[in-house]
Amino acid sequence: MMKKLSRVLSPLLIAFLVLGSLPVAAAPQAAPANSLVTTQDALSADQVSADRERINEMLSRQDVQDQLVAQGVDPADVEARVAALSDAEVRQMAEQLDDLPAGASVVGALVFIFVLLLVTDLLGLTNVFPFTR
Amino acid sequence: MSHLLERQAPRQQSQRQAWNARTAGVLLLMTALLLLGGCATGPRLASPVDMGVAERTYIDGVPFHAQRDYQCGPASLAMVLNYSGVDVSVDSLIPQVFLPNRDGSVQPEMQSTVRRYDRISFVLDGNFTSLLEELDAGHPVVVMQNLSLPLWPMWHYAVAIGYDLDEQLLTLHSGEEANRLESFRRFDATWARSERWAMVALPPGELPVSVGPRRAMDAIASFEQANDAEAALPAWRAVTERWPQDAMAWFALGNAEYGAGRPEDAANAFRHATERQPDLAVAWLNLGLTLEGLGQRSEAHRALQQAAILPSRWQDDAEQALTRFND
Repeated sequence: MMKKLSRVLSPLLIAFLVLGSLPVAAAPQAAPANSLVTTQDALSADQVSADRERINEMLSRQDVQDQLVAQGVDPADVEARVAALSDAEVRQMAEQLDDLPAGASVVGALVFIFVLLLVTDLLGLTNVFPFTR
Repeated sequence: MSHLLERQAPRQQSQRQAWNARTAGVLLLMTALLLLGGCATGPRLASPVDMGVAERTYIDGVPFHAQRDYQCGPASLAMVLNYSGVDVSVDSLIPQVFLPNRDGSVQPEMQSTVRRYDRISFVLDGNFTSLLEELDAGHPVVVMQNLSLPLWPMWHYAVAIGYDLDEQLLTLHSGEEANRLESFRRFDATWARSERWAMVALPPGELPVSVGPRRAMDAIASFEQANDAEAALPAWRAVTERWPQDAMAWFALGNAEYGAGRPEDAANAFRHATERQPDLAVAWLNLGLTLEGLGQRSEAHRALQQAAILPSRWQDDAEQALTRFND
């Protein structure tokens, strides 16, 4: 099973790695000679290559834009929303948007769970029902 | 027919088995709940004197917006932004932070939306004490809770606006209820499930009382990237005032001054950075480039040389700059 999986995955991974390194090769040699090192770059100094980072960042920003549209956000709002995200937040959104908790204060629950949650509410472990204090 | 009758017996048996399994399940659940109940204790806190906070506090004048539908995210943001002097309605925040297909809002976008209103979002370090410290300093705190159990989560944003250490009560604008009182114990149980996510929104120049320099600088750098250097300047100045020995703070201030079109002030800030941490190559590099632009060639040369000698990620850049400079 694992072998089968890796046989499928490895060519894909290789392809991605190659693709990932191509834009770097195509990027201009250096930014205009006199540009300062930015604070964001200096703060994230443990990363290997700033150039590669930046390009990945651009790709993930595009990726996050697409994901937001898929989540039902009006395409007219998407660009400004992504522009306000920091690099770290873009990475977080690109990698795990589906797993991020979305604050909504609803619970998709059955009757059985209703009772369970009532008990946990009364125990002070949860706070689903406003009438339990 | 007989065939059917024959099959009846095993079915009865399996029904009995199912019933047994259900009883066992219920018993197991009760045990689990009792165990869970045994684990749940309130947060352990130092004395108010040790924490350096008042016995009780209540932040006056935080407007309350009742959430509609699933929109506790936009409602919570509106409350803290309004309190901070930003005139914005829940309705205009909804298309900026709400995810229709998720029926909710995610944390990164809660943080980023704040930046669109000239406010800096600082994520706190997830300590109960930090939450109390911020409230004591008059900063309302957006918190994320899971009001339900991890298996059937009910994620929720609320705004903490006060506490009473004597009564062990936290005051929150939450959902459809203003000034809701929640026991520390219950609040902490629900807050812990979001890994104690908490955020304050402050105008550039004000800093949270509970954060360290790195956390503050990350937040300001994110703000600066989304806005511009000019807007971030007061924040960087505040960081250098609060942590005057931190070289990175001076470095960041230098970049903001430079970005705002004040190269002389930038050079001064970079100099401060190199004095505080003489092996901070990136500060030498930016100092050299800035001075080069100002035409102060001899000092620029010295700075670039330092940057090229010191082993760092920027060494190649520094060597290139030096070669170009010598040509």
